[in-house]
Amino acid sequence: MTGLPSTLAGRITLVVCSTLILLFLVLPIVVIVVTSFGKDAFGSFPPSSWTLGWYKVLFADGSKWPAALSLSALVASLTTVFSLVLGVTAATALVRSNLPLRSAVYGLVLAPLVIPQVVLALGLFLLFEPASMLGSPIAIALGHTVLASPIAVMILMATLQGIDERLEDAAASMGAGRLTVARRITFPLAMPGLVAAGIFSFITSFDEFFISQFLSSVDTVTLPVQVFNVLQYDVDPSVTAVSAILIAVAVVALALVAAVRRLSGSGKQDGLLPTEPGVGLTAGSETAT
Amino acid sequence: MAVLAPVSGSAAPVPRKKRRSRVSLSDRRTRFGLFNAAPVVIYLLVLFIYPIFSTLLLSLKGENGGLTLHWYTDAFQGANLEILLTTLRISAETSLLSLVIGFVLAAAVSRLKPLWAGLVMVVVVVPHFISALVRTYGWIILLGEHGVINNALTGLHIPGAPFQLLYNETGVVIGTTSVMLPYTVLLLYAVMKGIDRRLMAAAASMGAGRVTIFRRVYLPLVAPGLVNAGILCFILCLGYYLTPALMGGEKQTMVASLIDEQVMKQDQWNGAAALGIILLLFTFAGLLLLRMLKSAGEAYRNRGTAS
Repeated sequence: MTGLPSTLAGRITLVVCSTLILLFLVLPIVVIVVTSFGKDAFGSFPPSSWTLGWYKVLFADGSKWPAALSLSALVASLTTVFSLVLGVTAATALVRSNLPLRSAVYGLVLAPLVIPQVVLALGLFLLFEPASMLGSPIAIALGHTVLASPIAVMILMATLQGIDERLEDAAASMGAGRLTVARRITFPLAMPGLVAAGIFSFITSFDEFFISQFLSSVDTVTLPVQVFNVLQYDVDPSVTAVSAILIAVAVVALALVAAVRRLSGSGKQDGLLPTEPGVGLTAGSETAT
Repeated sequence: MAVLAPVSGSAAPVPRKKRRSRVSLSDRRTRFGLFNAAPVVIYLLVLFIYPIFSTLLLSLKGENGGLTLHWYTDAFQGANLEILLTTLRISAETSLLSLVIGFVLAAAVSRLKPLWAGLVMVVVVVPHFISALVRTYGWIILLGEHGVINNALTGLHIPGAPFQLLYNETGVVIGTTSVMLPYTVLLLYAVMKGIDRRLMAAAASMGAGRVTIFRRVYLPLVAPGLVNAGILCFILCLGYYLTPALMGGEKQTMVASLIDEQVMKQDQWNGAAALGIILLLFTFAGLLLLRMLKSAGEAYRNRGTAS
């Protein structure tokens, strides 16, 4: 392939611009991680001396953070289970069957990605408030699942499409029952997709703010809501440490997905991460009507 | 696991084939599909469609029970109208900025070798999965009066530094753009990667200058992606809450913050519901526009090849 040769000046401009843009994306994250280890909170950057003090404060007696962290972890685990169940069934129906009204079902599944979250949060509040389920981890997880399941469905659909159906047919022709085919053929091949879907559901829920804000009560507050409340009312340098922990959770999760895909050899050369929600949004808009 | 779910008649180990197999088999595949689609459809009807529907009903409910449009006329008056217009303005500014920045980065990445392009895309995608709340907080640290940015600008003796970068529109647009940027980069990169670079070389061989090539060849090829990314970004900004709420001042209140305030502080449920439905209608309008532009674009291109 021969394209238009680029001029030296053009290349330099492009490199400088893209470096600046990448800094624009990375800088807010780097500054939090660095500041969280700095002794002088917000005073100067880079910090003059280092400390682990802000992390120790988090787990000191009387701190509100451990409760928020464990609530978030519980909610995210529940969300993962719910959206995996929904994701596996929905992806099977959409990829491996003759589903009547297929595109309508697909549109419904992806719709939560483009609907303003305020509307969803408001509606869920109206649903759970009469049932006096506000502040219950199950209610929050049920709400998060609406946002997490489209991502799980997209990842699992791509996974199922990537599995050669003839392998299942071959096993069946050798006398394997449906259950055996699923357990011995489909499940092992779909494993990386299942792990990815689970991890993305987990971080979607772990980082979600608006629905948690509407569905939480005074004493049950998830980690992001707690961070938001602190940021809004008083500045507490230990928030920096919490934020750094949130960053670490996301990075570890993404690394896990990449590792599983690499180990199983299913990762294509250019895609380190499976179907990003951002890409899925286009698909959502195409099938929205 | 759904694939493990027992399905009637599963005893017969019949090799499954694609659609055109026997009628009884296709019928079983249909039942299998319905069985597996049921959980997600029921779930979303109860926890997604029904809540939105009840929001709609609430927004139409008068104080004495009957139907009314009172809450909608309220939403289009005085301070509320101003907030609505602010939301549209900030969303437009943010999507425009994300488009321009995203265009430059995507264009640069689409010229890189696969290995480098992969690395850059990791730098774009990883922040996307880090909580927007955390990234907003990062910007608050960076943009403060004695933050890194202002210190650097003062250090360089830029006249006017330190600037007020927080709690005004500049701050909101910077913060929201950094949240939206991964979307535009991903969408534009997908389009740009598919462009045959030989077209540009061909235009150059016919004597076209660089500006002409960009304007007459490259831009029309990227245009569908730009429209797509721009409208989606705009839609996502409309209902966005976190960054404007944390980085904006009084004048940057967006609809989502207004809804939050009406619910949490004023117990004004009907008004909040009406505002939510207005946001929803804007979203639908955006999606419809996207669809219309898409089919219009396809029709235009088909006409071009026919003549």
